[in-house]
Amino acid sequence: MKLNTPLVTLLAGAALGVGVLVTSIVWTSGTSSAASGAGATVPASATAAVTSPPASPALASTPATAPATTPASTPVSAPATAAATAPGTAPAAAATATASSYQAGVPAQANYVGAVVGGGAAVAISVHSGQAVAYICNGHAVAAWLRGAAQGGKLDLTGKNGAQLSVSYRNGMAAGSITADGTKYNFSAPLVRSVPSGQRPPGLYEATATVDGVKVKAGWIVLQNGSQVGSVEYLLGSFVLPTAQAPVLDLATGTAQYDGVTLVASLISGITGSGF
Amino acid sequence: MTAQPEASSPAPQNVSLGIGKLIVPSVIGGLVALTLGIYGRLHHPTGVVVNVAGFTSVGYVKSWLATIATVFAIVQVISALVMYGKIPRVTAPSWIGRLHQWSGRIAFLVAVPVAVDCLYGLGFQTYSTRVLIHSVFGCAFFGAFTVKMLILPKRGLPGWALPLAGAVVFTLLVGLWFTSAYWFFSTFGLHR
Repeated sequence: MKLNTPLVTLLAGAALGVGVLVTSIVWTSGTSSAASGAGATVPASATAAVTSPPASPALASTPATAPATTPASTPVSAPATAAATAPGTAPAAAATATASSYQAGVPAQANYVGAVVGGGAAVAISVHSGQAVAYICNGHAVAAWLRGAAQGGKLDLTGKNGAQLSVSYRNGMAAGSITADGTKYNFSAPLVRSVPSGQRPPGLYEATATVDGVKVKAGWIVLQNGSQVGSVEYLLGSFVLPTAQAPVLDLATGTAQYDGVTLVASLISGITGSGF
Repeated sequence: MTAQPEASSPAPQNVSLGIGKLIVPSVIGGLVALTLGIYGRLHHPTGVVVNVAGFTSVGYVKSWLATIATVFAIVQVISALVMYGKIPRVTAPSWIGRLHQWSGRIAFLVAVPVAVDCLYGLGFQTYSTRVLIHSVFGCAFFGAFTVKMLILPKRGLPGWALPLAGAVVFTLLVGLWFTSAYWFFSTFGLHR
């Protein structure tokens, strides 16, 4: 009987797909069974591959911020150590297993800018040596600043008024969700690409000033294509900050005019560390 | 022979039977595409996937694999043209069929891990035209490839069926490459 080779090809592809999917799920779920699982040789090569950048300062600083995971998160430790500590410290092992599966692609300093799924709002995230700043705004009522720690490629930041951000970031992109003003936005923000020198780069800008006796804070997100979204918050000391659309940020001068006051914007950049 | 009330002469009956053989594979292919799309949409992508040693980032792994798949797909098209005698002054050598089969298998199998990575880590996205096209084409590609594999062993198909299926698969893959690897290399640089 002649073998139906096209069907074999199809089924081989399906099997391969399922295999890759299961591997992805198991490796990135961070369960202790993954660290010492059946595919013993495969995780070993993955962890071994990740030991190449252990000297980078960002990785060295992460044990300082998370003492509980210090023994397990040292990259040079053998996979056996990670497996040995896994049963006793499940959350720590979870952080280790997840971190080791992609730490090779996690930058220590990075800027990400992008629009949210569905459009209308933009998100900017800057990561600098274990600290992160994020901003979301839609040019109308939605604006939130968030700050917090960046660790092992994951960000869980909080801001005023219930703003919350949960993101995974790596070399090319930061993806996740951000909740501001009661609405949850999903996004995938790519790494900011440099522009020809002489132009202000895309990214996150902030400015503070006193306008008509009220302190205001403006934030602009300049997207990769040059368009910008910005909001101004009135810092009245109340829980809910009145927010308005920011005046246009002149990228040539780095300033904006607001009710007769010149706002001087400064770039928040994880690469240079400004604004951190 | 199935009873076909409309058929009054043998020729239309043969044609409709030939096309009829395409229906079930097309439905199966459509279901494959739909399943991938629904999974990609419902599953919450984390942006986190397994990295591979030797590359700067997962994006590069995928872009290079996608490029390899597309190169083999180009071999597919050229070998198909030779097989159908469309290249002037070139006669099809005996091994052209095997080249076509194997280049196709390699292109498909190389594309599978890339697609799984895309679906699992990024999901079906619509936030820009590029990702929308990529998401739709990605689902359609595997549906179209399924159709092509299912109709290959069949006899009595209309003459245009295989070339059409092949052309659709190829066009979708090239579109996928342009909306991903090409964009990625242009944005982040051409290297490992």
